Amino acid sequence: MTDTLLQVQDLDIRFRVDRKHEAFRAVKGVSFDIPSNTTVALVGESGSGKTVSAMAILGLLPENAIIAPESRAMYGGRDLLKASLGEMQAIRGKDISIIFQEPMTSLNPVFTVGEQIGEVLRLHMGMGLRQARTRAIELLGEVGIPDPQLRVNSYPHEMSGGQQQRVMIAMAIACEPKLLIADEPTTALDVTIQKQILDLIASLQEKHRMSVLFITHDLGVVGDIADDVVVMQNGLVQEQGPVKAIFEHPQHPYTKALLACRPRLDRRPKRLPVIDDFMKGDGRPNLAERKRGTSASDPIILEVKGLNKTFFLKEGLFGKRAVPAVRNVSFQLPKGKTLGLVGESGSGKTTVGLTLMRLHDATSGEVLFEGRDLLTLTDREMMAYRRRIQIIFQNPYASLNPRMTIGHTLVEPMRIHAIGADERERVDMAFQLLKRVGLPEQSFYKYPHEFSGGQRQRIAIARCLTMKPDVLICDESVSALDVSVQAQVLNLLQDLQDEYGLSYIFISHDLAVVKYISDKVMVMNAGEIVEMADSDEIYRHPREEYTRKLLSSIPKGWEIAKVA
Amino acid sequence: MTAYVIRRIWQMIPTIAGVILLIFILFNWVGGDPAQVLAGKISNPEQIANIRKQLGVDQPYWFQLWVFVQQVFTFDFGRSWSTNEEVSRIILTRVGPTLTIMVPVLVIETSLSVLFAIMVAYVRGTLTDRAIMIICTVAMSVSFLVYIIVFQWLFGFVLGWFPVQGWSESFWKNLFTYAPLPIMLAVFVGVAPQLRLYRSFFLDEINQDYVRTARAKGLPEKRVMLKHVLRNAMIPILTNVAIYLPGVFVGSFLLEVFFSIPGLGREIITAVNRSDFPVIKAVTVYLAMFTMVVNLLVDVMYKFVDPRVSFK
Amino acid sequence: MSAVLTTPAQAPVQESPGLWMLAWRRLRQDTVGMVSLVIVAFFLAMMLASYTGLIAKDWAKEKGVSYANPSFLAGAENLEAKAMAAKDAAAKAPPVDLSDIDPLAPYYGEWQKRAEKIAVTEVKRAETLPFGGDKWGRDVLKKVIKGSEVSIFVGLAGALIAVFIGTVFGAMAGYWGGFINDLLEWCYNIFTSIPYILLILAFAAVAQATGSFGKGIVSIILILALTGWTGPYRLMRAEYIKHANREYVKAAQAIGASNRSRMFVHILPNVSHVALVQLSAHVVGFIKAEVILSFLGFGVPVDMVSWGTMLAEAQNELVIGKWWQLAAAGTSMAILVTAFSLLTDSLRDALDPKLK
Repeated sequence: MTDTLLQVQDLDIRFRVDRKHEAFRAVKGVSFDIPSNTTVALVGESGSGKTVSAMAILGLLPENAIIAPESRAMYGGRDLLKASLGEMQAIRGKDISIIFQEPMTSLNPVFTVGEQIGEVLRLHMGMGLRQARTRAIELLGEVGIPDPQLRVNSYPHEMSGGQQQRVMIAMAIACEPKLLIADEPTTALDVTIQKQILDLIASLQEKHRMSVLFITHDLGVVGDIADDVVVMQNGLVQEQGPVKAIFEHPQHPYTKALLACRPRLDRRPKRLPVIDDFMKGDGRPNLAERKRGTSASDPIILEVKGLNKTFFLKEGLFGKRAVPAVRNVSFQLPKGKTLGLVGESGSGKTTVGLTLMRLHDATSGEVLFEGRDLLTLTDREMMAYRRRIQIIFQNPYASLNPRMTIGHTLVEPMRIHAIGADERERVDMAFQLLKRVGLPEQSFYKYPHEFSGGQRQRIAIARCLTMKPDVLICDESVSALDVSVQAQVLNLLQDLQDEYGLSYIFISHDLAVVKYISDKVMVMNAGEIVEMADSDEIYRHPREEYTRKLLSSIPKGWEIAKVA
Repeated sequence: MTAYVIRRIWQMIPTIAGVILLIFILFNWVGGDPAQVLAGKISNPEQIANIRKQLGVDQPYWFQLWVFVQQVFTFDFGRSWSTNEEVSRIILTRVGPTLTIMVPVLVIETSLSVLFAIMVAYVRGTLTDRAIMIICTVAMSVSFLVYIIVFQWLFGFVLGWFPVQGWSESFWKNLFTYAPLPIMLAVFVGVAPQLRLYRSFFLDEINQDYVRTARAKGLPEKRVMLKHVLRNAMIPILTNVAIYLPGVFVGSFLLEVFFSIPGLGREIITAVNRSDFPVIKAVTVYLAMFTMVVNLLVDVMYKFVDPRVSFK
Repeated sequence: MSAVLTTPAQAPVQESPGLWMLAWRRLRQDTVGMVSLVIVAFFLAMMLASYTGLIAKDWAKEKGVSYANPSFLAGAENLEAKAMAAKDAAAKAPPVDLSDIDPLAPYYGEWQKRAEKIAVTEVKRAETLPFGGDKWGRDVLKKVIKGSEVSIFVGLAGALIAVFIGTVFGAMAGYWGGFINDLLEWCYNIFTSIPYILLILAFAAVAQATGSFGKGIVSIILILALTGWTGPYRLMRAEYIKHANREYVKAAQAIGASNRSRMFVHILPNVSHVALVQLSAHVVGFIKAEVILSFLGFGVPVDMVSWGTMLAEAQNELVIGKWWQLAAAGTSMAILVTAFSLLTDSLRDALDPKLK
């Protein structure tokens, strides 16, 4: 019914690191087909080799890449991997185009949007300057940029992330390519914008009858848009097939694990399944559900009243511009429960967390903890409360001091707050905590760079636990992690809450995760609280317009689409 | 934009005040009594007494500072302590020869450096690239003095292609007879460090994402370099040139000393030797102010070079 | 918490490479870097040996004839030496007899007898020296060694002080911000609005005239340090600003670490590699600057030798065909500066590896 547009066979790619060490094998023999007029999703976590495989097709690998001679990428009867540079340059941008993950840096900052789109038109379609400009305006309109005649003269930095990505798409489809490679194009965008871009790509695919190779780590997105799916792990294809088969009858344990360990909107298992459950165990984890919610009789541990935070930026000759980041935010955190704080970038959710910790100075408001207003305490008084409220940051690669051993990182807070009778006892406690978060004791002597992202987040959690806090703020703490690792960390957080009665404020932009872990959910937009309700309630019966818009942007994935 | 310029000029005021203060502290306070300074250099006691009176040495410091400030803004630093020539006249007459040498040097050196840097960046990672880098490093480690001595000896003395030293009254004679050897020398020595620096600018740009996009569009590598990369690399290059602009006036004082060119650089060296403070003070303060003006002009020019810059 | 306390006392301390160790390993693999390191170490050893008087102690002794030839040019003609010898001989020749008008004439005989009693060692001046001699017959090789001691010492000391000042100011400005930042930025602007060479010459002028910057090489070290702190300041301030906003510092604040702890225990180890590279680069720059200053006469005092003073002498020697002092000073300086520059590059690559 559809013939094959591109065939990848036995792709094997190594990277030369330096003279002494052996080359790192990123792709270990990968084969898949891309039929014409089809969307193929290339799915995998970080390190799976999916981006490398796609880049190889267009010959865009870095200079230290070695492609094995038996690898092939057959297109139109030719092996692209063996084609000359001139041949490839004729194909790039014309027959096969690509869009990247970070649109801001992928566009040249010193040329206008119109010039950059026009460039590819003039190169491959032989258009003149004026003709190219006209066509560029048309393309901008086609990808949904308002006022294209004006915007054609804009510079990339004058546009939002979503608009920049649309410009990249316009550039990519300008010459009506047969294949569009999209390398995680929505990962860096907000949820609502993500949905728009996905819809745009899908409609363009249908309209121009081109194929799309969509690279992503998000199975939810795959379920929405893909026709065929290729699942990669560690440089190998673990499973591939039509999307229906993959979602309904996954064969390989890794595929099953990937599908299962993402928190879903319709169920809430007591523990999220993790990869190991499938790869090593029998694959049917305990799916007993957990009930969540708050009641009026819950004791309140933290109360925030009228919190405001305004940033002042210099402007004009002598003036200052006020940028309100948090506006009149009030909420209560029940003891032993999780309050989810949801919003897109710029909503102020992270600022709320930082202000509670007094890492930012609030402009006004009260933060009542056990009856005392934390914002009015002196630094010395605050020290006593510091250990009771702790925070885990988003970027696991930045929150640990690279020059300090894990042991030092864990023992430092204990020293500051005089926990433990002597150094010996503190070291003991550090060892125990490492075990509790599932890391080997030897980690004590190691440096952060030897650990993966998920492991570093656990260390960060362990650091917080050294002080036996009451409240833990998780600021996008799992957002930077792979799905499977995310599940592990969420399970750990839940275990700790069950064991120690911790209260969490869980900040995230990922609605599915928030629903899974929270008892109550607060939605923020432009610094204000839009809606606040128990988590089941807010997802089933969202009352505000913005909440509904947010919820509708969640990629439904295959399962939900079928069930709904 | 006018608001921006005004705000910048407003911000310059404390810096100019600071420079005046620094020079004052250095020369009037630390430098102290001209009688001591000039002892042994000027034998005429009347002359020394005059200088002391002019400076107001017996007066409290704030009075001396006021005298100095007046001098700065009336362009009248009095007379040189050694030659008795008016300082303002000294500066004005010496600038010409310095510029005759330095402007060609700046233009030729920058053009050659950019050209070579692009070429080397194009063949990055190859043996040629590394060989050229090492040659540059070695070339940079030989002292400028050695180059001058050898070049002067070789091209002037042995081969006789250029006069060993000298200067004339005619501009054109200067430009084509006396200037070429110093210019050649300065360019020869100056290209190596610029080449290294500009090469690093180009390499930084080549590793950016937008270059990958340009290649993904199917652009030939030459166009990627000459259009996309060059245009972006020009931004730090121009910044770099702008930083050197004020230095052009001090010129290469070594060249002026060796080749007997009556420029501002040689004048300063002579002044240092003779402890001729008024000359040094004047040149320093005016060059500092000139630097600030150049910085402002460069920042304004930025707007046309880098569209990301906006004036707030 | 679990009730069972495991005793970790016997847990073996595993070899875990810190970031410095990793950098060292990277450096070891860099052949160019290692060779440069060896050369620099050799020069440093030479400097210490010269400082402690082990070698080149008698560099000022006029051992050779004027413009003695280097050993490898032993047979060449040496017109100057011959002229000096002729002058000496003429000086020893008996003077014209003026006894009838000279009032001191009767005493000459007596004085002659007395003079003969005093032992005078007639030092036979050497015809050739290992690397030749200068105008006064001083050994060029020894001068080069002694000169390297001065140049390296000035470079090292100056760079250490400059980087120290720059780091402290940069840390304060970058971390605290606010008024302290404004004040330090004001100082920075003042110093950088004056062209660097001019600034040095201005300081040199005052130093020379009044001696207020200390005596001898202390003065030139101070001049270089007080004008050279701006580069390290700029970089360290940028580093501190960058790191102060990093999450690990916010995490330290969250657990209650003090400001002092954050500045020095947390951030400093993460930025010290930048300071190290700055140090290396400034040693190179200051050695070159010292040579030029000494050449002009603003550097080391007259009783000391530096590569700069050697080049000053060499200026006039080349026309009469005596090239060895120029070659010796120029070459040894070139070798050291090249080695140090390459070492700086290798250090930078080892400490902050980027994908090439």
